[in-house]
Amino acid sequence: MTAGLYVHVPFCLTRCGYCDFNAYAGLGHLASRYVDALEAEAGLWADAWQGERFGSVFLGGGTPTTLDADELARLLARLRERFDLEPGAEVTIEANPDTVDEEKLAALREAGYTRLSMGAQSFDQRVLDALERVHGPASVHRAFAAARAAGHTDVNLDLIYGANGETLASWRRTLEETIALRPEHVSAYALTIEPATPLGRKVQTGLVPGPEPDLQADMFDLACELLGEAGYGHYEVSNWAFPGFECRHNLGYWRKQPYLGLGAGAHSYRDGRRWWNVRPPAEYLDVVEHGQRPVGGEERLTPEDERLEDVFLKLRILEGVPVASVDRDVASGFLQQGLLRRRDGHLVPTERGMLLLNELVLALAG
Amino acid sequence: MTETNRLRNFCIVAHIDHGKSTLADRILELTHAVAARDMRDQYLDRMDLERERGITIKAQAVRLTYQLDDTYVLNLIDTPGHVDFTYEVSRSLAACEGAVLLVDAAQGIEAQTLANFHLARDAGLAIIPALNKIDLPQADPEETAREVGELVGWDPKDVLRISAKTGQDVPALLQKVIELVPAPQGRREDPLRALVFDSTFDAYRGVVAYVRVKDGVLPSRAKIHLMAANADSEAEECGVFAPEATPMPELGPGEVGYLVTGMKDVHLAKVGDTVTIAGKHRAREPLPGYREPKPMVWSGLYPAEGGDYTALRDALDKLKLNDAALQYEPETSKALGFGFRCGFLGLLHMDIVKERLEREFGLELIATAPNVEFHVIRGNEVIVVHNPSEMPAPGTYDHVEEPVVLATIVTPSTYLGAVLELCQSRRGELIDITYLSPERAEVHYRLPLAEIIFDFFDQLKSKTRGYASLDYEPVGYERADLVRVDILLHGEPVDAFSSVVHRDKAAQYGRQLVERLRELIPRQLFDVAIQAAIGSRVVARETIKAKRKDVLAKCYGGDITRKRKLLEQQKKGKARLRRVGRVDVPQEAFIAALRVDQRAGQKAGQRTGGKP
Repeated sequence: MTAGLYVHVPFCLTRCGYCDFNAYAGLGHLASRYVDALEAEAGLWADAWQGERFGSVFLGGGTPTTLDADELARLLARLRERFDLEPGAEVTIEANPDTVDEEKLAALREAGYTRLSMGAQSFDQRVLDALERVHGPASVHRAFAAARAAGHTDVNLDLIYGANGETLASWRRTLEETIALRPEHVSAYALTIEPATPLGRKVQTGLVPGPEPDLQADMFDLACELLGEAGYGHYEVSNWAFPGFECRHNLGYWRKQPYLGLGAGAHSYRDGRRWWNVRPPAEYLDVVEHGQRPVGGEERLTPEDERLEDVFLKLRILEGVPVASVDRDVASGFLQQGLLRRRDGHLVPTERGMLLLNELVLALAG
Repeated sequence: MTETNRLRNFCIVAHIDHGKSTLADRILELTHAVAARDMRDQYLDRMDLERERGITIKAQAVRLTYQLDDTYVLNLIDTPGHVDFTYEVSRSLAACEGAVLLVDAAQGIEAQTLANFHLARDAGLAIIPALNKIDLPQADPEETAREVGELVGWDPKDVLRISAKTGQDVPALLQKVIELVPAPQGRREDPLRALVFDSTFDAYRGVVAYVRVKDGVLPSRAKIHLMAANADSEAEECGVFAPEATPMPELGPGEVGYLVTGMKDVHLAKVGDTVTIAGKHRAREPLPGYREPKPMVWSGLYPAEGGDYTALRDALDKLKLNDAALQYEPETSKALGFGFRCGFLGLLHMDIVKERLEREFGLELIATAPNVEFHVIRGNEVIVVHNPSEMPAPGTYDHVEEPVVLATIVTPSTYLGAVLELCQSRRGELIDITYLSPERAEVHYRLPLAEIIFDFFDQLKSKTRGYASLDYEPVGYERADLVRVDILLHGEPVDAFSSVVHRDKAAQYGRQLVERLRELIPRQLFDVAIQAAIGSRVVARETIKAKRKDVLAKCYGGDITRKRKLLEQQKKGKARLRRVGRVDVPQEAFIAALRVDQRAGQKAGQRTGGKP
């Protein structure tokens, strides 16, 4: 079992209204100090993670591509020095269409980044406006073409559906334009309103209507249909890929492989223990620059936690849970309702079941 | 022992918020009963709950001394101020010889002013009217004095004008009390007769009765006999409140105080009972007017957690120790499991009990919509129904009777039309309208109790911009064309949702409840039909469409802890739902009928509002 390495870059050009990640606009001046700190933090963990083989690296954010290509190249090189990366390791970097051009993407490829995950979100300008994204559909086309020209052969496009004003027809066009580009991987997320975001506050105060769950369900069905017809395999609730292009790093989270998170607010997991770094970048810098591990909290999973996570994660990636491990009556109810199906002695959610996954998890883990 | 000619027993009666407790505070100060540093607002309202709600539910008696030409002993008896407690008021009045009728000079006479005045006059008390709050700019003492004078038969210029808040002319009021309230009658030599006008349970001392000695002497330690309860006990102590409890060697005729009865069950010392001496010295006749406390409103109380049934039973047992009016019997609901059908004096009493159970005993409760007691007549047999789901099937009985009240409403004449409309929409029968002044009318209506227990008062207030006031008294049972409306969830009748309503309103009620439940019950994994039925006839139907989406969209970045916590939260939310058949129902749904009734009232008002 290989391990994963996550690196968090908390900088963005602007904040999007729906996003509750640990990300900040206007902290660009901290960037080079931050890269130094990431390298220093890698050094603080290196001994403890000796003996783990890393099968994937993932630079997420924020917007990692707000850093220079040089910085990103140097960072990856340092990580290779500190940790045992497999020769064929998957190395993903998240990119915002407006922060990359062909030259930069080629440099990243050169530096060893093997996979590009691009935040397209939508090809409908109104939807991008509703999400308060600053890029337009044209940027996505331009950045995608640049990625191909730079030699990237493993590209993901992130999509979000169900924003205020989006119709089923508009979502269909976004899916069709996505499929026409033939990215190797598509993530399609139902917009979730997080209370502690500008959009969340607008929804709470009634300024903006929240997503309609039935419309989002129709949109999910449409994604299943169109992506399926185009040859994408549906391998996780919100993820589709051409065979062989499933995201190895994310699968690691869902399969409970160990992972080490570096950077502000990054999460780690190993041997039944989860811990996470302090969230504010300034605090993170301060602790690391004093030579301390920037751990902000931890938890040890109880057997009940483990059980709930197991069922939750295994249903998400359609691995399913063994038939014999769950209550027979509960399972047979879901089988009858067409929310679960049997596969190789396991219970696996159907596409309808995936949309009701919380219900399945709570009933089956109970 | 005080000579009876220097004793005055009186109470203050008033409409709610007319300043009764403030006046009591001033009197306590004026008579130096409470040291200034110990004084606090609403001193006599002891329970926390009462202070928060700003009302008095337990009558208290306090002994004061006041120097005039001589030293007088005044017993101030505080009376409950809410329509739920009319009988308790009448017993407090029976402990007095006089009453101060306090009227807010800005508000004028209100419904409870009238009700209390009539109670006091019927009890034969000397009545001393007084206008309060004359310091307020909006006070209209001339007009109010005219109204009050007319009511009690006084020359308006003799009606006292005071401010309980500032203390203005409160001494003059006390002087009038001493002049006009007769000293108590009663002879030491007669056999003891003492009226129990309240009782309470003290964890250390057992049942403590508040008593007014009418005849004879109550010694500190005696073998006592309670005549209505037909129970004997060894009394341990008697005394007075000055205002803290102060033991006395005895209580003589006319005196008011407390009696530590030596009993452990408050139901043996109910309000209105007569205390006498056990054995050969006992009185022959009890004092008149004893009445069993009679619940008017019934509701099912169920623990939100099924496992708390025993805890709820213990809590009710404890609460009943100092609430002789509370009744309960175990019942089983298919929907809610094991619980109790509880009887209350009224909705306020119900709220207080529920709140105390939750606050003092840490219970979480589901209450079903309150209902009145129905009498189902079958030949010579009367079947008493406290729970709508127990209503026999139509055709198996002759007819049904429901409790009826006589309501007194005082309203500005401007809103008379709205008040009449409201009462008509509640199956009311107009008795008469009289004018207290050209601007204010007093309306009497006969109304089914069932029509006013939920929200009538709120409606009355909202239709009259808060100006109307209400009082009512039960006047017996009357035949009515009532039917049971059942609710079926996913094809299964849910007993806790059944209610008994008038046939003419049944279909509309059913439609509204079904609609309300559709809003309250969350979507399930399958379509859920909600139907309202009268007998086998379905009168309304709604469908809750199956839920399609319930999934955490995003799970990456490694923060699985947060996702798990979201799931755990959802699980807790689910635990608060009640599984009824296959359907998960939130607890609020079980009192949904309350809100349905409110909206029905509003709609009925709007509908008739257009008529000439």
